[in-house]
Amino acid sequence: MLSPYRVLDLTNERGLLCGQILGDLGADVVQVEPPGGSPARSIGPFYGGEAHPDRSLFWWAYNRNKRAVTLDLDSARGRELFLRLVRSADFLIESDEPGRMAARGLGYDDLATANPGLIYVSITPFGQEGPKAHYAATDLTVWAAGGPLALAGDYDRPPVRVSVPQAFLHGCADAAVGALVALFARHATGRGQHVDVSAQHSVTQATFGATLYKPLGLAQGHRVSGGITYGPLTMRWVYPAKDGYVSVSLLFGSAAGPMTHRLMAYICEEGFCDEATRDKDWDGYYELVFSGREPVEEFERVKQVVESFTKTRTKAELLRAALDRGLLIAPIVTVDEVAASEQLAARAYWRDLEHAELGARVRYPGPFVQFSETPIAYRLRPPCVGEHNRDVFVDELGLSRGELAELEAQGMV
Amino acid sequence: MSGDGPLAGVKVLDLMWVMAGPAASRVLADYGAIVVHVESTKRIDTARTMAPFLGGVAGPENSALFQSLNAGKYGVTLDLSSEQGREVALDLVRWADVVMESFSPKAMRAWGLDYQSLRAIKPELIMLSTCLMGQTGPLAGFAGFGSLASAISGFHNLTGWPDRPPAGPFGAYTDTFAPRFTAAAVLAALEYRRRTGRGQYLDQSQAEASLHFLAPALLDYTTNGRVLGPLGNRDPAMAPHGVYPAAEEERWVAIAVEGDAQWRSLCDLMGRSELAAEARFATATGRLACQDELDGIVASWTRGRSARELEALLQSRGVAASAVESSSDLSEDEQLRQRDLLVDVEHEVHGTIPVEGSRLRLSDTPAVIDRAAPTFGRDNHFVLRELLGYGEERIAELVAAGALE
Repeated sequence: MLSPYRVLDLTNERGLLCGQILGDLGADVVQVEPPGGSPARSIGPFYGGEAHPDRSLFWWAYNRNKRAVTLDLDSARGRELFLRLVRSADFLIESDEPGRMAARGLGYDDLATANPGLIYVSITPFGQEGPKAHYAATDLTVWAAGGPLALAGDYDRPPVRVSVPQAFLHGCADAAVGALVALFARHATGRGQHVDVSAQHSVTQATFGATLYKPLGLAQGHRVSGGITYGPLTMRWVYPAKDGYVSVSLLFGSAAGPMTHRLMAYICEEGFCDEATRDKDWDGYYELVFSGREPVEEFERVKQVVESFTKTRTKAELLRAALDRGLLIAPIVTVDEVAASEQLAARAYWRDLEHAELGARVRYPGPFVQFSETPIAYRLRPPCVGEHNRDVFVDELGLSRGELAELEAQGMV
Repeated sequence: MSGDGPLAGVKVLDLMWVMAGPAASRVLADYGAIVVHVESTKRIDTARTMAPFLGGVAGPENSALFQSLNAGKYGVTLDLSSEQGREVALDLVRWADVVMESFSPKAMRAWGLDYQSLRAIKPELIMLSTCLMGQTGPLAGFAGFGSLASAISGFHNLTGWPDRPPAGPFGAYTDTFAPRFTAAAVLAALEYRRRTGRGQYLDQSQAEASLHFLAPALLDYTTNGRVLGPLGNRDPAMAPHGVYPAAEEERWVAIAVEGDAQWRSLCDLMGRSELAAEARFATATGRLACQDELDGIVASWTRGRSARELEALLQSRGVAASAVESSSDLSEDEQLRQRDLLVDVEHEVHGTIPVEGSRLRLSDTPAVIDRAAPTFGRDNHFVLRELLGYGEERIAELVAAGALE
């Protein structure tokens, strides 16, 4: 779909997913790394457990469908070669601290002169401008600064993050959308532009409109393990099963109420509650609790009833019941259970890529969308350091092998 | 509105509801596509029942979340279970470049609105279906909210403390980022059609898209057989790394010490230069071996200061830190204000209201958000008359038949 387009991906560990999304969609993505390789290659875990720049599973996760070259952008010769690459590029993605690219003469304004059609995408913790633009940042601190951290965790412990870093991935996925919107703008105007993405801003989406509470004069909910508390009402999603945990959406109102009716009918049928409990007004239950007509203790008892039932059933039994009866229950699964999913197998989700350099076949998460006409192809396994230097510098830019060898000797590539 | 912006002229029929789908088409509307959002007044969009509420009172026209998800779109009410309602839907399909839907595979077939039927009418159509588990497979019929998708994709189990039941991320977590893959996929399909004239069908499982946010852990399992469990706030490579109590009640500061230099700066700030001299704390490996002890030391320092003061102190020395922001902090955060976190639109019932702005900043073609999300049927006449060319008589018939409900 994007096969006519060339992407130069300069991002470090904060921006890699954006280029991979464009690569999955067919673009020719060239990862440009400093000599010796990207710092992202030092992030674990590692294939076989051994730290090695070509065995970082973090690197593998976000660099499929890319080629890779090394180039020293802090040297004049490196920048000169890079500018030649820029002339034929459609997109450039970078994730340096704001101002750093400009200081090298590689800011948007500099490159737009060389290539007015260039779409220049920046992914940073807080955006290009503003009081926090130069803050030191990591996944945890951006997750804190953007709001989702405060809303998750046990009430008697500090708020808790997702154990696999998320914050910059939100920014990357937004950036891919921004890059494509800018491509449509270019079709109309012939001009590229600067797309400025802030991971902090991107993760605010994960608060479900919580940023609106204060302007609307409302109070935000408070975190509680496996749920959230609004005033007197503690909503709980996590329930024990016989062999682990399940997520149960015990929700009310006209849309979700009918599913709670079905759940309570099932629980009653199985002998875990009486008919009076089954027949409560689940459509109007929020109003009942908030108005005080239903005591909060009674809602607490209802949740205990649900728990007394779920803990007698396995996750698989509860999922089966959810499918058969139209209930809002899902198993809380571990990573190995994800890998063993029958659903993913039935859809041929997983993709194996040959890592000839290791003599191994590696199983990767599959396409993010199934396209009927232009299916996402896993064309290239994540590249080793400098793997495509000759392809790009000799075959495409027209350097001689001797010149490339000289650059290598100078530590330029 | 229409006619302007990078996506001017792109016509989207939006048969989606709740969160994940509408969040994707919202981006298209921000940048100039005409998005016609079809909904039922009988089977009310769950998002209309979700907090926060304008005026603090629940009601189908009061959800500020629905507003943020659907600002800038045109709204039509249509009874898809009626013959006349479906006829209007088919005319909208003929009008549209893209149909996006988030119903169950069964419902779309029952209405005759599945891709096989629609491509017969319009071969160049791009159609996207998005649901929790995808259109095929044993769980294709598994319906529900993103909280279920994040449970069944592994996010819940990876958010919490090793010694406690899973806490899970807040809310329907996967609904908040699967839509970005949705929007990118639709734009790529539009680009392909622009060059080739060919449409196609896009089948999105939100769970499958979401797994890319856990990819390193999945690869650790498929290659090394290692099953990652919840780590609390610990990090495999950084220490100290955690969320620490500030002086105020229920206020916290997140601190991540990325390297040895930052560790020494932290010791300095804490007035504990003797710790910087201790060999066992000098390297990350050493510090990772005594995290409980270090967390205690850091917390005893943070407890004496406000979250804001801690953030400023640590940042002044280049140590990654942030106050743990709550919603009220965010609406007043100068950094986000400068990026138009919230923008005002005019609402028919509530007057001027805030909705979330675009998260993307495009220097040449900024987002334009100048319409509130539709009240029920707000744009029925505009869409039927101006976009579909219906006469007043036809519209009156539809109203009389109850097809516009």
